[in-house]
Amino acid sequence: MPSVVDCPIVLRQEVAEGHYRISVQAPGIARVAKPGQFAMLQVSGGYAPFLRRPMSIERIFSDGVSFLFKVEGEGTRLLAEMDTGHNLSVHGPLGNGFTIDTVCDRHILVAGGIGVAPLPALAERVKRDCGKAPDVIIAARTERLLLCEDDFRRMGCAIHITTDDGSAGEKALATGMLERLAPDARTCVYACGPNPMLRAVSQMMLDAGVMCLVSLEAQMACGDGACLGCVIESKSEIEGEKMLRVCKDGPVFDASLIDWAAHDLRDDQ
Amino acid sequence: MSVSLEINLGGLHMKNPVTVASGTFGYGQEYDAYFDVAQLGAVTTKSLTLKPRAGNKPPRLVETPAGMLNAIGLQNVGLEAYLEHKLPFLRQKDVPIIANIYGHGPDEYAELARLLEEKGGADAIEANLSCPNVHDAKSSRGTVLVAQDPELVCAYTKTIRSATSLPLYVKLTPNVATIVEPALAAQEGGADAVSLINTLIGMAIDPETRRPRLANIVGGLSGPCIRPVAVKMVWDAARALDIPVIGMGGICSTEDAVQFFLAGASAVALGSMSFRQPDAAIRVVNGLADYLEGHELSGIAALVGGMAQ
Ligand SMILES: Cc1cc2nc3c(=O)[nH]c(=O)nc-3n(C[C@H](O)[C@H](O)[C@H](O)COP(=O)(O)OP(=O)(O)OC[C@H]3O[C@@H](n4cnc5c(N)ncnc54)[C@H](O)[C@@H]3O)c2cc1C
Ligand SMILES: Cc1cc2nc3c(=O)[nH]c(=O)nc-3n(C[C@H](O)[C@H](O)[C@H](O)COP(=O)(O)O)c2cc1C
Ligand code: FES
Repeated sequence: MPSVVDCPIVLRQEVAEGHYRISVQAPGIARVAKPGQFAMLQVSGGYAPFLRRPMSIERIFSDGVSFLFKVEGEGTRLLAEMDTGHNLSVHGPLGNGFTIDTVCDRHILVAGGIGVAPLPALAERVKRDCGKAPDVIIAARTERLLLCEDDFRRMGCAIHITTDDGSAGEKALATGMLERLAPDARTCVYACGPNPMLRAVSQMMLDAGVMCLVSLEAQMACGDGACLGCVIESKSEIEGEKMLRVCKDGPVFDASLIDWAAHDLRDDQ
Repeated sequence: MSVSLEINLGGLHMKNPVTVASGTFGYGQEYDAYFDVAQLGAVTTKSLTLKPRAGNKPPRLVETPAGMLNAIGLQNVGLEAYLEHKLPFLRQKDVPIIANIYGHGPDEYAELARLLEEKGGADAIEANLSCPNVHDAKSSRGTVLVAQDPELVCAYTKTIRSATSLPLYVKLTPNVATIVEPALAAQEGGADAVSLINTLIGMAIDPETRRPRLANIVGGLSGPCIRPVAVKMVWDAARALDIPVIGMGGICSTEDAVQFFLAGASAVALGSMSFRQPDAAIRVVNGLADYLEGHELSGIAALVGGMAQ
């Protein structure tokens, strides 16, 4: 069950230019959180900004969780200014989270930019449930913006790096690297990142007959499935509904459900 | 001193004068994790239509200073699924249900009200004559929201009135030159109360892409930024009417709710604030009890219309 709790910030790091990690003490949320779930964070004591900001849970510890975010606008700017000791109001955990198919013999995580945020928790869980750390593709614009590499390495993941400018790893897109890893019918692919990447990864995996889960973003108000503001269109009706709520039915979706043609493409990278 | 928050809202007994605004609280169950919805004076549902509606294309939301624009487009499960899947949760709670309805033409509203009463799906009806995101009423003034034309408001209200004996509330739009005319028209048509205000119509444009932020281009503005407009409209309407006013628009706190009572509202509804703080409505229920006690007032009635001049 989700809750709304004031959580002290116990750690704040600038992990790359304009990118921050904050950890909060939140044992109740940590106890029930699953990889792929998110929380709505209150960024202002006043009413500007009015709404909370959705953030993926990066890692789940015994007594709290961490968030990893990129400063985009006013809300994330305020969040980045919060220091240790500050009480952050956290509403969560929300959403469905990743389902790990333990029958698959290979798990590949694909991170595009800040889309890496929910994947460290997932990698840990895959390792625990399947006995082996997953492969992780980290795609970034440039070397400075590679995130979480050390965390994945410590977990024992096989890491595959691509950058747009070739400053680290291969000069390639995430899809190019994914193709080389040759996922097959016994592989499960989990992707989070900008929409164009998710769309390309989904299409590739659908064509190859590979199970693929994607974590999506949408503008959100409630995070609880009540306002119907965060919907995306699905290809077919599910229980009579064509509109899927990213906050409640997602944010993780089977890639085959998404109507990518209808999906409003946001180049948020 | 013992305070009582109980009220009678146009024939509906409520244990306190606080409900939630249609469309901001789903069908109640969405908020079950945060508090017992039976603590509310009433639960108001998302607008129901006879058949399910998919609503508008995304993006449907954009944040604005101290508020938000929405263009949901009345996505809802439809009457049948409401009765079958949403109602059972609410009925196991000891809380009155205000079913908000939306129809094409007066007969569809009447049919919804009749069926809801017949199937035990509501304890009161709130007719949404003011959704800013669907325009389909024709009048001598062109295409309007029903609530923008007092003659239509009166005619629709009469038709719905004749179809149900449940308390009937008519929800009006602030997008008018004066709120008094449509409010009086609802009263004349037989409404037991009016709900004020629905959202203010607005829009936002992305300066980089030059495209509207909402797929529907226009949407409804809600949240604390609209509160002063709402308070003024409640004040105008309450002075002109004999029936009670349900006040809403940007209520975030007990102090905000008290403003609406002082302006003349008999009950209040929390809307967008529930998005930010899921238990906001209960905080206001508790805060009102403290306020009455602190000010040595025995009940809400002592506050209604009590603005000092
Ligand atoms: C389920 C989910 C998980 C997310 N996880 C992360 C994460 O782990 N790390 C991270 O850096 N970002 C994440 N985001 C995106 C993040 O919520 C936005 O970057 C942030 O809300 C921007 O707020 P702002 O005030 O700084 O920017 P502004 O651009 O000023 O925001 C204005 C409005 O747009 C919304 N908005 C802007 N960008 C996005 C976006 N990409 N997705 C959804 N809403 C947006 C804001 O919430 C706000 O209402 C996630 C989004 C969702 C939906
Ligand atoms: C996301 C959203 C959906 C809404 N849906 C409805 C609706 O279906 N029917 C209706 O009568 N009003 C609807 N409203 C209007 C609210 O009930 C309320 O009148 C308005 O938001 C003002 O109150 P607030 O500022 O407290 O939110 C909706 C408002 C929002 C923000
Ligand atoms: S954010 Fe309200 S339904 Fe998803």
